[in-house]
Amino acid sequence: MTLETTMADDNKGLVAAGASLVWRRQRILWWVFAVNFILSALGTAPTRNQLQEVLGHSLAGQPLTKGFDLGMFFELVRVPESNLFASHGASLHAGILFFLFMLFVTGGILTVYREDRKLQTGEFFGASGAFFWRFVRLALFSLIPFVFLGLAFWGVNRLSGYIGDRSVSAQAGFYIFLAGALLITLLALFVRLWFDIAQVRAVVQDEHKMWPNLWKALGISWRNVAALFRVYLCISGVAWVTLAVGLFIWAKLPPTAAPVTFVLLEFIIVMQLLTRLWQRASSVTWYKRHAAMFPSDSVDCTTPAPVELVEPLPDSAERGSTQEAEVEPPWNGSDAPPQ
Amino acid sequence: MQAGKLVLAFAAVVVVAAAMQGQSPFAPKVTGPLSQRVVAYQIDARYLPEKHVVEATETLIYHNLTGKPLDHFPFHLYLNAFQPNSTWVREAHRDGNFRTSTFHRGWDTRRNGSNDVISLEVVGMGDLTKQIRFLSPDDGNPDDKTVMEVALPRPVEPGQDITFKIKFRATFPEVVARTGYRRTFLLAGQWFPKVGVFWNGSWNCHQFHAMTEFFADFGTYDVKITLPKDYIIGATGVQTSDADNGNGTKTVAFHAEDVHDFAWSADPNFKVLESQFNGSVGDVKIRLLSYDSHRSSWQRYLDVMQGTMQRFDEWYGPYPYAQITVVDPPHGAMEAGGMEYPTFITGDTTWWAPKGQKLFPETVTEHEFGHQYWYGMVATNEFESAWLDEGINSYTEAKVMDSLFGKNTSVLNWMGAQMGNSALQRMSYIGVAETDPLSRPSYQDMSIGSYSGITYGKTATMLLTLEAVVGQETLQKALHAYFMKFRFSHPTQEDLLRTVNEVAGQDLGWYWQQAVYGTQVLDYNVRRADSARVDWANKEAPDEKKGETLYQTTILLQRLGDFVFPVVAEIKFDNGETIREKWDGQDRWKRYVYLKKASVLSVEIDPDHQVKMDRNYLNNSIATEPQRGATQKIATYWLICTQFFAQMLSWLA
Repeated sequence: MTLETTMADDNKGLVAAGASLVWRRQRILWWVFAVNFILSALGTAPTRNQLQEVLGHSLAGQPLTKGFDLGMFFELVRVPESNLFASHGASLHAGILFFLFMLFVTGGILTVYREDRKLQTGEFFGASGAFFWRFVRLALFSLIPFVFLGLAFWGVNRLSGYIGDRSVSAQAGFYIFLAGALLITLLALFVRLWFDIAQVRAVVQDEHKMWPNLWKALGISWRNVAALFRVYLCISGVAWVTLAVGLFIWAKLPPTAAPVTFVLLEFIIVMQLLTRLWQRASSVTWYKRHAAMFPSDSVDCTTPAPVELVEPLPDSAERGSTQEAEVEPPWNGSDAPPQ
Repeated sequence: MQAGKLVLAFAAVVVVAAAMQGQSPFAPKVTGPLSQRVVAYQIDARYLPEKHVVEATETLIYHNLTGKPLDHFPFHLYLNAFQPNSTWVREAHRDGNFRTSTFHRGWDTRRNGSNDVISLEVVGMGDLTKQIRFLSPDDGNPDDKTVMEVALPRPVEPGQDITFKIKFRATFPEVVARTGYRRTFLLAGQWFPKVGVFWNGSWNCHQFHAMTEFFADFGTYDVKITLPKDYIIGATGVQTSDADNGNGTKTVAFHAEDVHDFAWSADPNFKVLESQFNGSVGDVKIRLLSYDSHRSSWQRYLDVMQGTMQRFDEWYGPYPYAQITVVDPPHGAMEAGGMEYPTFITGDTTWWAPKGQKLFPETVTEHEFGHQYWYGMVATNEFESAWLDEGINSYTEAKVMDSLFGKNTSVLNWMGAQMGNSALQRMSYIGVAETDPLSRPSYQDMSIGSYSGITYGKTATMLLTLEAVVGQETLQKALHAYFMKFRFSHPTQEDLLRTVNEVAGQDLGWYWQQAVYGTQVLDYNVRRADSARVDWANKEAPDEKKGETLYQTTILLQRLGDFVFPVVAEIKFDNGETIREKWDGQDRWKRYVYLKKASVLSVEIDPDHQVKMDRNYLNNSIATEPQRGATQKIATYWLICTQFFAQMLSWLA
């Protein structure tokens, strides 16, 4: 078998393996969702209180319950007594806190996925802390490609405006924008994949130097782009479709079905979080399968340390093999070690 | 043979008559003149698309019906507004203007426009080009050249005519403020020298301002436009001829009577759609000029035109012209959209406009057609009393749109959200309620927000609120009477107010003083609503029991604003009883006390939601039981948005 054929075989079932891993370690999903929910609920509290202040004993809110009267909603926005958007800062802070939280726990999450076992709380946060500053550095590095992508988006916007302006067809500019935006979205997905691989590599191989790690991750991602990108795209597709279908159902729900609406919208949020974890789990699974091909810079875990040959004792014929088994592989899961 | 000649002659007469009938600017059952025709314009224009320039000769016959000798004539040169130091640009830069997005990046020279008078001759008096001088009657701006005046060597006596022959060049800006070009599209508005109006004893010829529109005398227009022959053209009035010049150009002639302006639009990419409205004075042709890209809006345009014309015909009076031309501007020419000229309007839409929203093209088209009545025929002075046009038209927009698309869904009924047109009008008003009175000339308003909020929103909201006093049908009759009495003339705001008083059979001066001449704000508040046991002091009183315990219920209504208006308050009790109290609102507050074996559930001022001018609906009611539904719903959406935002941000982690 050729190397390519072997790798193709290894990539089989990667999406399913990732999903299976997320399912087995679903505590992570629920914890992440819980933190997302709690932080957002805290961010929403000032707005809720403000609304309760003006609507708590007023009949004016009824058009919002029996439907969604945009006129009344704008009233809430414009009347100084309610000033609905005045407290949006709390939501912004909630979003930033959740970002920092995710940045912190990503090391722990990847460690769980690498080892495919339940970590003790101390172990989990230990792993999170161990990788936190490395991931902060990676996040800062990621600004470079994302800024370029932002500039590209700005360029696409200008170009579509320029061409659309000169075209008789009203749609021309939009289609150019759409194509450009799609391309940039795919590029952004690749950048995310690249940095995910860098994070996985840092965890699996305990890399400390993030800059070289980043370039190696780029090489790995680029050489395996077909397999990895397909996985990421497939999972992103699930996220987008879920979002679209969820919003479609939401639009069809009767305006008074508040509990069902709440459950549906929360389901959408869960699916968004789940698919992101699914991408991470898939990338860990893929990396574990192919780790032997990617030697470490900091600690060479993939190459067994030379073992001094000891003359076997007559009564312990199996001692040598026991000694070999005690060498800690870089993975600790159920998947087969890399070949 | 003789018989044959007679038959031929008869046939010729029939053909000519038919042709004449086809060229009539009026609907079949209408014969002119409908107005006191002061002006007669004949314009021969040549459009040079590559330069966006029109070169033209204008012959204006002015009939002096003023009863006074006239020795000078002012003219509007509106296109001169589009120069960096003009009053229009200064005001738009200072206050903002909703018809241009030019100024945030400085003045763009593509927005330059001009009206250059090459020569001006008065028949019998010679060339008076050198007599031309520019005036700035409103602000004294020496750089503003939107009004020119020519002094005559001798006056035109009352009853006499004077004929001006003016050669001019109109250079169009890239679309800005109701006129200009975009790619191959041209909307030619305010493009020719137009004489001012001799009104109330003197000339009325204001400079072009950022926050006002136009004012002109009625008359006739015969306009010939020469342009490349692949261009499709639409204009005020009716087309009377279309001649191929054999040199790649054609000359199209239009004729209009009893109108006070002339605009046209041309583009080789126009698609023409026609429909017919069967009105009370005969068929009216609806001619839509649109684009392939806007195909999804074609039927929407025609449907809303049919519905609007039918309601205006039924409610306010007949549309007497033979044709209405609707121009759908191309993408990127939004500032040409939503504009009215006599028998000619521009709509606005996008190729992706969802059917659930009715702003584009429905509301815009309805609104612009409404101007045919409140600007086109009832030709008020828009410089000084813009609310009589834009405001009344916004009110009738709310009535027509609500009638066509539902009271609470006439702006939006999409993705679970609804909005009615009355709410839209109110929204624009409540943010600027105390800024400017309606009676102030709108070019002197505080800002563009105040202009739109007061001129459009306040008038509509004020008239909707007036329905609570005189009734909807009475107000409709009053507007019908106002239209029928003052069409083809220049009424004032007093004419309108007097007409409403007469039809309503009451003196509404108390209302007009506050709503039209004043800046009073209407805001009522339920300050208190509670029930307490009458036997509260008796420590041995039995436990409270529904239907048996006697309560004293206290209701306190308060007038927070300085606008005095009679209101109704509805009090609901827990035994199912409902009481409605009328309060004249004269005092600052009013207390109501009830002794009943029932406790209060809720109190609501204006339970029928008629007082649209009340700036704050949130304080109009008190419910003794907590009302959580709306808070929970909005808080849920807010929560979801926050969660979504947070998880999107974490994608970068």
